[in-house]
Amino acid sequence: MTGSGHREISGFAVALDRGYQTATHMWVKLTGPGRVTIGLDPLGIETSGTLAQLALPDVGTELTAGRPFGQLEAVKFVGPLTSPVSGTVLAVNKSVVADPALAERDPFGQGWLIEAELSEPADLDALLTDPLQIATWYAARIEEYRLSGAIAR
Amino acid sequence: VGDVLRVIDFGRVSPLRSQTLWHAMAYEVGAGAPVTLSFARPSAPYVCLGYLTGAAEVDHDYCRAHDLPVYRRMVGGGPVYLDDRQLFFQIALPVSVLSSSRPAALRAMLEPAVAAFRAAGIDAGFDDGEICVGDRKICGHGAGQIEDAVVVCGNLIEAFDHERATRVLALPDPAHRSQTLRLMRRYVTATPGDPQTFMSALADAYASALGLRAIPSEISAAELERTADLDRRFGAARWLSGPRRPNQSISQHRQVKVRAGIWTLAAWAPGGARLVASVVKGLVERVTLTAPDLSGQARQAERALAGIRFAAVADVLSRFGASGRELAAVLAGVGGRL
Repeated sequence: MTGSGHREISGFAVALDRGYQTATHMWVKLTGPGRVTIGLDPLGIETSGTLAQLALPDVGTELTAGRPFGQLEAVKFVGPLTSPVSGTVLAVNKSVVADPALAERDPFGQGWLIEAELSEPADLDALLTDPLQIATWYAARIEEYRLSGAIAR
Repeated sequence: VGDVLRVIDFGRVSPLRSQTLWHAMAYEVGAGAPVTLSFARPSAPYVCLGYLTGAAEVDHDYCRAHDLPVYRRMVGGGPVYLDDRQLFFQIALPVSVLSSSRPAALRAMLEPAVAAFRAAGIDAGFDDGEICVGDRKICGHGAGQIEDAVVVCGNLIEAFDHERATRVLALPDPAHRSQTLRLMRRYVTATPGDPQTFMSALADAYASALGLRAIPSEISAAELERTADLDRRFGAARWLSGPRRPNQSISQHRQVKVRAGIWTLAAWAPGGARLVASVVKGLVERVTLTAPDLSGQARQAERALAGIRFAAVADVLSRFGASGRELAAVLAGVGGRL
């Protein structure tokens, strides 16, 4: 879906109002002082295959930047969801756990994964946040994935 | 990845070790050990859950009564029945050498298996991502990332106990079990390949695909130590229970995937209506509807549902009274995503 603050790049909608951990395709949106929502961007979802199952942590779980906070299963392949920040889980999107397709339909909206309180606000500095840089990175990554056969569209 | 493909034949091992040995190997490959292909055959039957499978999908009472241990693996897929007539293989390699696309990575790591089946005289190919002969699945596969390694597993099924593979599943509705068994018999089959030929061909195929030299090898001391740790972890009740799933206690439907594109479904509505359906390639193949308030209309509804796309089932059901509408609401969140 393409909404306000979103831009379409080579067929993929990308939200420009948040930060990205480029290696993992996780997005982070600041929703209040020291408070963020975290999700998986459309390229991360596209390269996973059709999502079958998601396992997310309980509220209160400690997050460590660079470490798994949950698991994703697609095409009978289970892999980690890596946290882009350190902190504590404040809320879990039970709707997306019950219906992982929600992350495919609305990755930047109703398909969010967890909400967290930051313990290391400086983690945000490591994210890509400049809209122009996000757009450039996304276009380059799409091209790279197309050339390598990782995505077909 | 170096230039060596370690090939380890664990032989006949206990059900627990038939899981923990290759998980240990995957951890070590993630820590820098060479790419490793291993083989194992369980010495006794057991049941294994996929990493994110709900433990409630297995009939634990039946398993206890029939001395079938239940373990949870760290790769995907659903609950499966394993015995000594299935030879399992596992290839573990660093995540960094695989495609960024999981479907592409999985396909690349299953192609050598297809080549090995063919070398063993089995006319294998891909059908909807599954290794099949024609439209019958002949290899149960799964994959997972374990730390910095990816492991892809599969099996050569020399004989398959369809009844037991169905019976170990927790299926409260006998009609659902019956439909599942029928589709299991139709779409899952054993193949008569020679295990030694298959193993040798698989080592050659992976070595060729990865540009490595296959070297027969033994498990390392570090892997044995890791295996002992994993024996304890996999044997713990907490590990078996797995990740908590939402609404498990109030779930109003149960889906069983037989193979890609082939699945069965049972759904029950608060007012007592029940529906059991089999779905083949997106189309409702058979359906049984029990709804006290529909009387003669239940058969009419069954006829209306047979042959339609599963995506249209809720719409059709909603035309059949309160029971139909309740079942339609239950089915609204159901799809063929397993």
